[in-house]
Amino acid sequence: METRDTKGKIVKETFPSETVSIIGDILAGIILSVLILPFDSFLALLLMIPALLSLRGNLSGPFIARTSRDLIIGDFTKRSWIENVFATFILAIITAIFIGIFSIILNSIIFDLKVLPTVHFILIPIVTIILTLSISIPCSTGLNYIAFRKGLNPNNVVNPVMTAIDDFFTVFCFFLTLIMLGVS
Amino acid sequence: MKYFMKIFKESIIVVILSSIFGLISGILLSSNEEILYTIPILLLILPALNSLIGDISTVLVSRLTTHLYIGTILPKIQKSKRLKEDFYGLLMTLLLSLVVLILLGYSIGVISGVKLVNPLIIVLIITFTILIIFFMMFIILFIGAIFLFKRGMDPNNFLIPFLTSLADFLTPLFIILFTIIFI
Repeated sequence: METRDTKGKIVKETFPSETVSIIGDILAGIILSVLILPFDSFLALLLMIPALLSLRGNLSGPFIARTSRDLIIGDFTKRSWIENVFATFILAIITAIFIGIFSIILNSIIFDLKVLPTVHFILIPIVTIILTLSISIPCSTGLNYIAFRKGLNPNNVVNPVMTAIDDFFTVFCFFLTLIMLGVS
Repeated sequence: MKYFMKIFKESIIVVILSSIFGLISGILLSSNEEILYTIPILLLILPALNSLIGDISTVLVSRLTTHLYIGTILPKIQKSKRLKEDFYGLLMTLLLSLVVLILLGYSIGVISGVKLVNPLIIVLIITFTILIIFFMMFIILFIGAIFLFKRGMDPNNFLIPFLTSLADFLTPLFIILFTIIFI
């Protein structure tokens, strides 16, 4: 029980999942430093990377938590899942447009870089987020379901694993989007 | 569509606020891009550093909230055995994870051909950054959890999105600041 956890128990339970999370994030870092750093428009791209990465915690994290909770309390239905997915995608698209518009404004006020066409500031976050969620949502739903069927608490198991998967795929999908849009 | 509307209404503000914090971090990184070009290992480990401090702080908030609800920590700003146990447990996890992060980051950096500049100083900068943010987070989150709990609010709902955004902003800020000072 949490109330009687010793410091040793805290380390024992938190450290392994944190290690998994670190591995996924280091892989994301490799893509950033090896594949994205050489882009001519890196400076403009760097403006939106932290905002895209923080969406992992604010869109995918709550999606996982809601799915886990619905499974645990017996409220998980096809309809609830579809509404959960739909809400996550709508929130993602609105936030992506917001990131794009603010990146354009910030770029014109602070940096005034001409390396990236204006439309790309909007398209890059939208395509990246949609691609990432298309991988993340089926993965986390599957993991949640498997963990629950095996009698594990999905809250404890799924989140750290998905942190690693989400961070890696956010950066990977960002790279794919740049290639698809022909960003220099 | 009741469930959809509930999720949408409760999430939209926090998600947009978090994006604003993310964009501020982006400005910070873009304004100091020469540091990232000179020391690319920082870019390699930055997502892991953000995630590490965010994850540990999330565990701290959820534990503090549980303690407050079940009464194992009183809603007063004072030291207790339980609080110390949580503090040292999380500090030990943080330090162990940091060792893994640095070893893994540098090994992969060498394998993938990322340029290593002043590795010892960079390790010190990373360690200082993580420790300073952890101590700051511990104090802010402890006081914040008590403040929210006393007002009948669930600290989890507000503090977790808040700390994620704060960690995403503070980590690059301190790394850049220390790099400018020490290198």
